[in-house]
Order: sequence, then C-alpha cells, then structure tokens
Amino acid sequence: MSAAAILCAAGAALVGLGAVLALATPAWRLALALQAAGMSAVGVSGAAVLFGAAHAVVGFRSSFAPAFGVDRLSGFFLVVLALIAVPATIYARDALRDVRQTRAVSGLSGAFCLALVGVVAARDVATFLGFWELMTLLPAAVILVVRHDEHARRDVFAYLAITHLGGIGVWASMLILAGHGALGGVPLHGGGLRALVAVAAIIGFGTKAGAMPLHSWLPRAHPLAPANVSALMSGVMIKLALYGLIRVLFTWDRPVPLWVGLTLLALGTLSSVGGVLYALFQHELKRLLAFHSIENVGIIVLGLGASLVFASLGRWQWSAIAFAAALLHTLNHAVFKALLFLGAGSFASVVGALELDRLGGLLRRMPWTGGAFAVGAMAIAGLPPLNGFASEWMTLQSLLHVALYGPFGVSLAGALATAALAATAALAVFCFVKVIGLVLLGAPRRPETADARETSAGMRGPLVFLAGLCVLLGAVPGLLVPTLAQLGPGTVALSRGATVALPGTGGLPTLALAVGLVLVVGGLWRAARGRRAAPSPAWACGQVIEPAMAWTSAGFTKPLRLFFEAVLRPTRELTVRVERGVVQEVAYEAEVPHLFDTLIYEPITHSALRGAAVVRRLQSGSLRTYLLYLLGLLALLLVLVQLGVLT
Amino acid sequence: MSAADTVAGLVQVVGGVAVAPLIPGVVQRVKARLQGRPGPSPWQPYRELRRLWRKSGVAPMPRTIVYELAPAVVVGSLVIALVMLPIGGRSPGWPVGNDAVALVGLLALGRFAITLAAWDTAGGFGLMGASRDLTFAVAVEAVLLLVLVLVALPGGNTDLVALSAQATRPAVWGEPAHWAAAFAFGLVVLAETGRQPVDNPDTHLELTMVHEGPLLEYAGRELAYLQWAAAARHWIMLVLATELFIPQPGPFAARLAVLAGSLPVWCVLLAVCETTQAKMRILRVPLFVGAGGAVCLLGLASWFAGGGS
Repeated sequence: MSAAAILCAAGAALVGLGAVLALATPAWRLALALQAAGMSAVGVSGAAVLFGAAHAVVGFRSSFAPAFGVDRLSGFFLVVLALIAVPATIYARDALRDVRQTRAVSGLSGAFCLALVGVVAARDVATFLGFWELMTLLPAAVILVVRHDEHARRDVFAYLAITHLGGIGVWASMLILAGHGALGGVPLHGGGLRALVAVAAIIGFGTKAGAMPLHSWLPRAHPLAPANVSALMSGVMIKLALYGLIRVLFTWDRPVPLWVGLTLLALGTLSSVGGVLYALFQHELKRLLAFHSIENVGIIVLGLGASLVFASLGRWQWSAIAFAAALLHTLNHAVFKALLFLGAGSFASVVGALELDRLGGLLRRMPWTGGAFAVGAMAIAGLPPLNGFASEWMTLQSLLHVALYGPFGVSLAGALATAALAATAALAVFCFVKVIGLVLLGAPRRPETADARETSAGMRGPLVFLAGLCVLLGAVPGLLVPTLAQLGPGTVALSRGATVALPGTGGLPTLALAVGLVLVVGGLWRAARGRRAAPSPAWACGQVIEPAMAWTSAGFTKPLRLFFEAVLRPTRELTVRVERGVVQEVAYEAEVPHLFDTLIYEPITHSALRGAAVVRRLQSGSLRTYLLYLLGLLALLLVLVQLGVLT
Repeated sequence: MSAADTVAGLVQVVGGVAVAPLIPGVVQRVKARLQGRPGPSPWQPYRELRRLWRKSGVAPMPRTIVYELAPAVVVGSLVIALVMLPIGGRSPGWPVGNDAVALVGLLALGRFAITLAAWDTAGGFGLMGASRDLTFAVAVEAVLLLVLVLVALPGGNTDLVALSAQATRPAVWGEPAHWAAAFAFGLVVLAETGRQPVDNPDTHLELTMVHEGPLLEYAGRELAYLQWAAAARHWIMLVLATELFIPQPGPFAARLAVLAGSLPVWCVLLAVCETTQAKMRILRVPLFVGAGGAVCLLGLASWFAGGGS
C-alpha cells in the first residue's frame, strides 16, 4: 500500500473513532476534534493523489468483493470533501452546544463524513451502493434526532421517498454496468443497453444531485439539518451524485451519443434558471440557499453537458476545458455554499429564526460573520474577482463555444444555454443583493436582531477560513485548472499561472483583475473619504422613515414576479374589512407556489394513493378470501400451462 | 509595444476618463435643439463634476462601509473595463486582458455595488430603482451574451481585439447575423446607458427612476464618481458599437478617425431616440430587450442557412 492510501485509511479510521467516541462517551468536543483531524488527513491524501505525487490507484472492479482505492478524480473529490468537512466539524464544536441530542448529532455527523469518504473511495459495486445508501440515510437520521415535529418528519419522508425512487436509477445503471463487467474496463456493447444505462444514471444521480425536475426533496431536507450537516449536504453530498454521473457517463459508458450531452444541457438550463428563480421568492434564508444549490448543480451539469457535446463533436480540447469548468465550479460551490450555510447557522444561533424580513443590520453587529457571509454571497453571485466568477466564466465560455463550433441544432442549444446561464448569473446577483440587504444591511427589524452579538471564535474561524478560500480560488484558479483538465476526456495543454488562458478567448487574468480592482477601488475610495459630511436621514420626500416603511423581500422582487407572472403563477389574496364605510383592516397574503410540487409531484402522489386504496380492497383480512386468491392463481397457472404459454 | 498600441492605450485611458462626460453633454445639447430649446452647453457635465468635487458630502444614517465603498467599486470596475476596450482594433496588452465575457462581469460588479448601497440606507426610492435595474439586467445580460455569440461566429474567439479585427471586415456586413447582432446590441445600449425608452436620465420624479434611484442619497465627490460612471457606461457601449459593428478596413489612423467620427453620430441617434420615444412601462422593458434576443436567434439560424461562412 502506498503512503497516500495508508494516510487516507488512517484518516478514515480517526473519523470513525471520533464518531464512536461521540456516541459512547460525553467527550463529544474531543470526538469532533478527532473527526476534523481525520478529515484533514483524508484531504491531504486526496491532494497527494490529485497532484500526482502519490498513487493509490486500485482499478474499479465489477465484482462484489469489497475494494477501496483512490484515483485522481476521487482524489479531487476527497479534497473538496475535506475542505468542507474540516471547517464544518470545527464549527460544530461550538455550534452544537444548543442543539438537542448533541452527542448523537456529533456521532452521526462523523458517520456521515465516513460515508462520503466511502462513496468516493469505493472500487466495487457493493461497497459503492452500500455507502451510497448510508450517505442518503445518515442525514435523515440526523434531522430526525434534532427535529421531532410532524412537519420535519413529513419532509424527511419526502426526502427519503424521492431519493429512493430516483435511486432505482443508480442501482439499475451500476448493476447493469457491473453485470457486463464494464466497471473493470470491458466496454459495454449494444446501443439500447448503453442508452438505458445513460438514462438510468441521469435519473438516479440527477435525483440525488437535486437537478430539476427531480429536485423536490432538496429544499425540504437541507434547511432542517443542523448547519454543519447542511453544509456537508449542500457542499458535498449532492456533488458526489455528480461524481457518480461523471464515472458512468465519462468512463464506463463512453463514448455516449450526442443526445446525452444535449439532455444534460437541457437539464442544466432548467435547473440553473429554475433554481435561482424560485430562490428569489423564498422568505427563509436556508430554504433560499437550498434553491441556490439546485441552481449551482445546474451550472455544473451545464459544464458536464458541454464537455460531452464537445466529445461527440470531436473537439477534445474544449471537452477537457468544459470538464475542468464543471469540476472547478464543483469545488467553488462547495466552498461558498458551506460558508453560507454555516453563516446562516450562526445567524440562527444568535437571532433565533431566519425569516429574511425579520433580520437586518447584522453586518455592524457581527462584523466577522457578516463580512464572511458577504464574501460568500458575492462569490455565489458570480462576481469578479471571487471564485464563483472564475468558474462561471469558464462555463459560459464553454457553452459559447458549443454555439460557435456545433452544427445548427447543437449551436442553437449552446446559444440558448449561454443566454440562460447569463440570465442565471444576473438573477443570482439580484437574489444575493436582496439577501445581503435584508440580512446584513439597513436597520434591525426586530429586538432580537438589534441585540445580536458576534459568535465565538470557534464559529467565526471556519467562516473566515472559507471566505479566504473564496478569495484565493478567485485570484489564482489558473494554478488548479490545468490539473482538473487532465481528469476529463480529451487533452488540452493549458499553462499554469495567474491567468486562466483558454484558446479562443481573451483569457481571464484573475490575479491581475483582483489586484487591479483592489488598487483602483482603494485609491478612489481614499480620494473621496475623510471629507466633511453632514449626517442626514435617507430621502423619503421629507418623511421620517419608519420601520413599517422598510422594504421586504417580496417588495424588492416584485418587478420580476410581475414579469414572470405567466410562468410562476403567483397567488395573492387581499382582504379588506370595512365597517360603516371605514376601512378597518387590510390583510394581504401573497405566495409564489412551487409549481413542480403542485403540478408534477402532487398528482403523482395522489394517483399513487388512489392506486393503493384500490389495491387495499384486495386485502380483506379474511382467510377464505386469501384461499380463493390461491385457488384462482392455481387455476390461472393451469390454464396458462394448458395453452402452452408457460412451457 | 508599437506606437499604435501606445496611442490606443492613451485613448482608452484619456478618452474613457476625460472624454466620456462629453457624450451625455452632447446628447443633452442635441436633444434640447431637437426640442426647440437652446439647452445647456455640451461641457455642462464637466462643470457639474467640478462643482461636486468641491462640495462636502452627506452621510445618511444608518449606513455601513458598503454605502461608502459603492461609488469607488462602481468607478473601479468601469476603469478596469475601459482598458479592456479595443481602440481602432488595438489594445496595448494591459494585464487585465481583453475578454468580452470578463467585461460583462465587471459591469455586473458595478450594478451589484450600487444596488447594495440602496439597501444600506434603506431609502424607498433607491430600492425601487435598484430592483428595477436588477430586473432589466436579467434580459440585458442574456441578450448581450447572444450578441457575443453572433459576433464571435466568424472568428470563434471572444477576445475583444480579435472580435474588432474580424467583425469589421466589409464582407461581414453582408451577413444577416451581423445585422441581427447590431440591432440587439442597439437595444442593449439603450438599456445599459439608461436612455429612453428604457429610462429617463432627466427625470426629477423619484417614483419613475431606475438608474438614478440609488444615487439619490449621494452628494459631493461620491456623487461625482457616480455621474462620471454613468458617462463612462456611455463611452464603453458606444465605443463597442463602433469597434464591433462598423466596417472599417484600413490603417490604424483611419480607424481612429472612424471612431472619432462615429461617436457624435451615436450621440445624435441617442438624442433622436430620446426625443421621439416616450418612456415605456417598466414591465415591458425586459420584453423590449428580449426582442433583441429573439432577433439574435433568427440571426443564428440565418448564419447556418447561409452555410456558416
């Protein structure tokens, strides 16, 4: 065994020890420290494999005998996992103090980390599927430990039901591949079979990744978990579904036909635009962030789709670039989404609830948490010079080049996806302007918010670390991109440096942009500040601004809601109570319903329940009826045999 | 670096910083003449900038560092964008590169900063403008990228210098895709510079403001920054219009002359548009700009119908 493999195994063992320690003894903070140490060891081993300094390569096997190994792609995902898990676990050491069942939650969090490592390191079908199921079940367990209310249990049930129904696709694709030995490198033959594997994988892994229209569980489940588990779920768990998709479509089932790439482009477009559009109309911070996970999964899927399309067109250089764009966005999204979920957890621990319209003014009261949160919000909005911009730029360039290189149909798909991603970026800016404005700026909107105090160093530190990562990955993604491009199909010679230099583009000199922006903005700021300034209230036509005049989330997004009225079908109800000709009370209620739930999921559940009701009539409970069924079955079989059907 | 590159660099910086305020000045003057008024001198924006630079500021309460930084971020992102522009098909190779998509990102950064400042003071009018501005941006960015797809089709490159080199061959002018892109870009220019029928830059009625709304609280040097930024946005969009869409073969000096000659023409066109068009309902703006996107898709189809030369 190589050094990297030993390190990875030792790290995993440490995480396991931490999980057991937390469950068995009261020393849960020590246990979490052990888990963090273990995860850092796993991350280091992953980095060693990714950058080629070490090899722990065990090939995939189609057998059922347990096997573990780490290749470069797994190494990358281990790095992503560790970069999120370590800060999240350290954060949990302080944050879990005021959660019910602290020990159980810390133990299960460790087990969840272990399951995530297991999915990435599994090298055979049985191990992969086993850890895959654990990865689905453990967060559900955490939520059920923390929350006991009816509402939460219903949402957990929806999560398990949808992911398991979709999960059939994962099992089907993996078992077909293993049955034909494709995991061991034997190419899969037969167009129909390969199409079946591709469709099953897209449905199965797509459900778990939260791609629209298979996403309905995600905004229900993610907000319920404690912040550190939410960070792992949104930051890593849904990415591991994409890891599975990459394995199937880029390695075992390749070369896939053009329509698979185009399907991914369509799914990515729907997820990115749909995700961000619904995020805009959410009123609860964690639910809003969950919808943004759908958006970002969409962006990653767009990158993967572009890569497959380029591969089908024989444009190998761009295939590799688009793949690198998808992986870079995977890493970036993991970092800023974990940052945002942990930040939301901090706000919740201080203020109590996360209704957007009831926060406000937290930047001045919690400068560290608020500042880090603002950096994360800028990064997820895809603004230069932070990391979200770099990967969205690469993805946009990939889609744009699909439009430039393809034949007409492909080109049209590329152009539409390009426009959709540009609109997504603009909508994300809209959404996070709203979030920063409502949460961090302005005046506090209720007393608890006004009394908010900065959190402990143990909770601030991980946030600041992740915010630093956002800046670093935004300044020098060019150091990482060439390595990521080697992991995908095709080859491209990219220079490693402070510029993301892609052929057919002007290049993105991230470091120069960052330095230039800081210098110019800093200089301009100095030139304007320090002058005499008269204090004054904000202008409201001479009125004093009262709290009742404060803008709300719904008010700010109203132009967009009106514009998309035909698509979103918002509902509003206005009740005016008039007594003796005088208006006494005006009640206004408005909502943007989640149409996927009302138009797709509800009819399906209803017909399933109706079907179950019909089937239930068969179950009378009377022994004679069952004997009659047996007799009937026997008669049917005899008839079939007589007819020669069953010979 | 050749002499031509040096000149291009000078025009980028000096033109962008010093000449930009003249553009809204000229538009105002021409517009006034068209409407039968004498109107202010074209140099009026400079006088206003000088006046504002000397005045003291206003500090609205409550506010944070976000409000104070916003004007600098808006101007800073535009300054970086200025040196990305090709001038006469050239750029001296600043370290920030010349990529078109990066330029779109910088414009988004400026919009982000100013709309966030509106939240910081929480004044109703600022937020009203901010929310409209961000709604328009959705259509603007999508259409801008489609325009970029079309102009990049012949050369397969999104570098602005390369684009201005190949999009300006006269042959490309016979291409319907190019006309479609030019039309859509015209709509984007109207929206991005805040001109009628999208927005009325002369309005004093807070309720109707879009781009002006978040500027209401600012005074002194910070307001000077923001007024310059509005002018710089005109400069960026109009220079791009010339560099990407006007056929101009010939040496660098001739191309500079074309640029110098086209800017007044664009100003007159903007003034005519402002005089003849009424401001449209806010909710129609995304559709108005989005129409440019539909035209772009038709242009894409025509490109392939024509064999994609």
